[in-house]
Amino acid sequence: MSGTQQTVAIGRGYAATRSVSRAWFGGVHGADYVWAIAFALPYAAIFLFFVIYPICFGLWMGSSPALYAELFSDPRYLTTVVNTLLYVVIGVNLKMFLAFMLSGFFIRKRWWNKALLVVFILPWATPALPAYMSIHWFLNGQWGMLNSALYEFFNFDGPVYLNERWTGLGANIGAYVWKTTPFWTVILLAGRMSVPQELYEAASVDGATGLHRFVHVTLPLMANLYLVCTLLDMVFALGDFNSTFFVSGGGPAMSTEVLATLGIRYAFTLAVPNLGVAAVMSALPLLIPLVILLMRKLRMSEGQL
Amino acid sequence: MTKISRRAVLGGGVGLAAAGTLARPYIANAQAKTATVWQNQGFVRAEDEAFKTTVEDYQKASGNRIDLSVMPFMALGQKAVSALTSGDVPDLMFFDAPSYILPQNAWNDKLIDVSDVVEPYKDKMSASALLNSTFYNHATKKRSIYLVPIKQAATPFHYWGDLVEKAGFKATDMGNTWNDVWNFFKPVQTELRKKGAQYRKIYGIGLQITTVGPNDGNNLFSHFMIANGGQDIVTPDGKLHTDDPKVREAAIKAVEFMTGLYKDGFVPPEALSWNDADDNNAYHEKLFVMDFDGTLSPELAWISHEKEYYQEMRVAALPLMNDGKTQMPCQVGAGGGFIPKGAKNVEVAKDFMKYFIQPQVMGANLKSGLGRWFPSTPEIVKNDPWWLDDSKDPHRKPYITEGVLQPTIAQYLGFNPAWGQVNAEQIWGQCHADVIKNGMTPAAAVDKGFKRAEAIFAKVTFD
Repeated sequence: MSGTQQTVAIGRGYAATRSVSRAWFGGVHGADYVWAIAFALPYAAIFLFFVIYPICFGLWMGSSPALYAELFSDPRYLTTVVNTLLYVVIGVNLKMFLAFMLSGFFIRKRWWNKALLVVFILPWATPALPAYMSIHWFLNGQWGMLNSALYEFFNFDGPVYLNERWTGLGANIGAYVWKTTPFWTVILLAGRMSVPQELYEAASVDGATGLHRFVHVTLPLMANLYLVCTLLDMVFALGDFNSTFFVSGGGPAMSTEVLATLGIRYAFTLAVPNLGVAAVMSALPLLIPLVILLMRKLRMSEGQL
Repeated sequence: MTKISRRAVLGGGVGLAAAGTLARPYIANAQAKTATVWQNQGFVRAEDEAFKTTVEDYQKASGNRIDLSVMPFMALGQKAVSALTSGDVPDLMFFDAPSYILPQNAWNDKLIDVSDVVEPYKDKMSASALLNSTFYNHATKKRSIYLVPIKQAATPFHYWGDLVEKAGFKATDMGNTWNDVWNFFKPVQTELRKKGAQYRKIYGIGLQITTVGPNDGNNLFSHFMIANGGQDIVTPDGKLHTDDPKVREAAIKAVEFMTGLYKDGFVPPEALSWNDADDNNAYHEKLFVMDFDGTLSPELAWISHEKEYYQEMRVAALPLMNDGKTQMPCQVGAGGGFIPKGAKNVEVAKDFMKYFIQPQVMGANLKSGLGRWFPSTPEIVKNDPWWLDDSKDPHRKPYITEGVLQPTIAQYLGFNPAWGQVNAEQIWGQCHADVIKNGMTPAAAVDKGFKRAEAIFAKVTFD
């Protein structure tokens, strides 16, 4: 081996060692490394205790195949799965569409827009429990505000909304949309505000009017953010318990139950928490692909809106 | 700036760990005579004050210490289930309504047997209190006592006396049997609605014919079963008797009568979707005249409204069964203390309950709670005129009469954990919905409900 070759080989070996070292130590050595570890340790411990441990404990609680046999033999389970899918797909998409449209409204520069935005955010800022319980009473067929108003103004007795599956499920979805639309509107509003004005100006110079500017500038630039928000909200909606529990209570006859409320019912009404965990775990085949897709989307959309 | 070396950081860490390890036995020793107790918050403040007084008196008498945590009813229920699942438990849980937690956990051998605490008072206790405290343990293959029963609760009728009178009726017109009482409120509604627009939507009966629950609808159905002679649907040996023609007939009569009241327009249509709080809220708003609900909570919640509490609200005890001859028994629930396995100081927990179960302590504690709960030992009521004195409180006497002096039976939950699932699935509410919404006959709806109950019970075997 010539001297040059030897130098190259040594160089390669050194480079390989260095890259391994970089992977392990991040280029930090000595006292700096110890300090880095000392600072990272509390976060790692918190992550282990409050994230990894509960997840593993949950997986362990719901690990027995007998639990799933029992779950699938429950006549309510299939209805619950269908309800959960409807809740997530309709609730999230309706909300994100509304939030996207409303963000377009709130970005307009009018003097009263900011004041209106403050009022608009109130449902999101209101604590969930009293808000959903108010909706439950608002919809009461006999004495609720909605039917009382219908009778007062139109001399018409409205239906008993929470006595029917579809109106009950609609009420749950509507309440969830009402409660959380303001949050996503603000997120999408922030996204719209980040779109460089120069692009709109350039489009205007090219003769683009309102609809064209929306289709060719706003939509492409907001698409990633919209998708990420939708995926993220689907993950939230899958685990949402409050709306169903406090608006329809899962009724009538458990026909509007979703997986989160069924799980809580098993855990705390029946006092069989393992079955409750299994009910929630059965959403994993939907949840895991959503999270993977979300992570991929977040990685791909680096540097974009 | 002083530079801290890696050795110093690691050394410090090891030192801290060692100090923690060495310090632990000292803390444990310091708590050797301390029991951690979780208690659910009372419905009225006086209940919490009474519990604190009992704890203070015990601490003085024994020299032990009670580390008491008071939390809302729902929160304690959830915390108790979580604690029993994870094993991170207190020494004692004192819960007003543990009947949905205990059967499953006794079955899974997660509770300490407290027979030795209850034994000295067993003969004086009501039979229903004892049954409500006895559960099957699948590990030991026998039934034993896992709850120290201190308090019991019954379900009386609550009604607005002023509305009954406004409709032109008197309480004495109510009739003697179970169905008579319910029927009494039909003309009350009819007459009230003639009194003006403000009564346009008033209903006579707040029947919890609910498919949502979790508790009121099941409790109501059980009482309809009892009134119609079907109280043996589940027997203390844990067996389900849906094949008994008497039980089936009682269930059909119950469903027929309840759905009839609903279909005839005497029950708010929303009742099919009520939760356990909805009837209370609507009752307080005088949106219907009569409610059948557990304890004196509808009245005590309004104790500060003097006019309503003393002059307008009324409580009535259970009448005769529908046979017109037999006094109808009330199905009562029990509350008290239970000790989870894994408790660090079982000795003090048991000692505290031995103190609490003494008649004079139990009586004083429950009197302070304004009589919402009555003692599991009937002689306390018989020996103290306060319980039946209606000169100062119009509601206590009929309530205590129903729960202590009249016959009572235990809840089915303790007989077999499967009943808990029957309740959680709201099978009886579903029967009513099948008749009202799906056009089934009461017999077909009952048979469908019974079939599901049988499937649930079949999963639980006592061998």
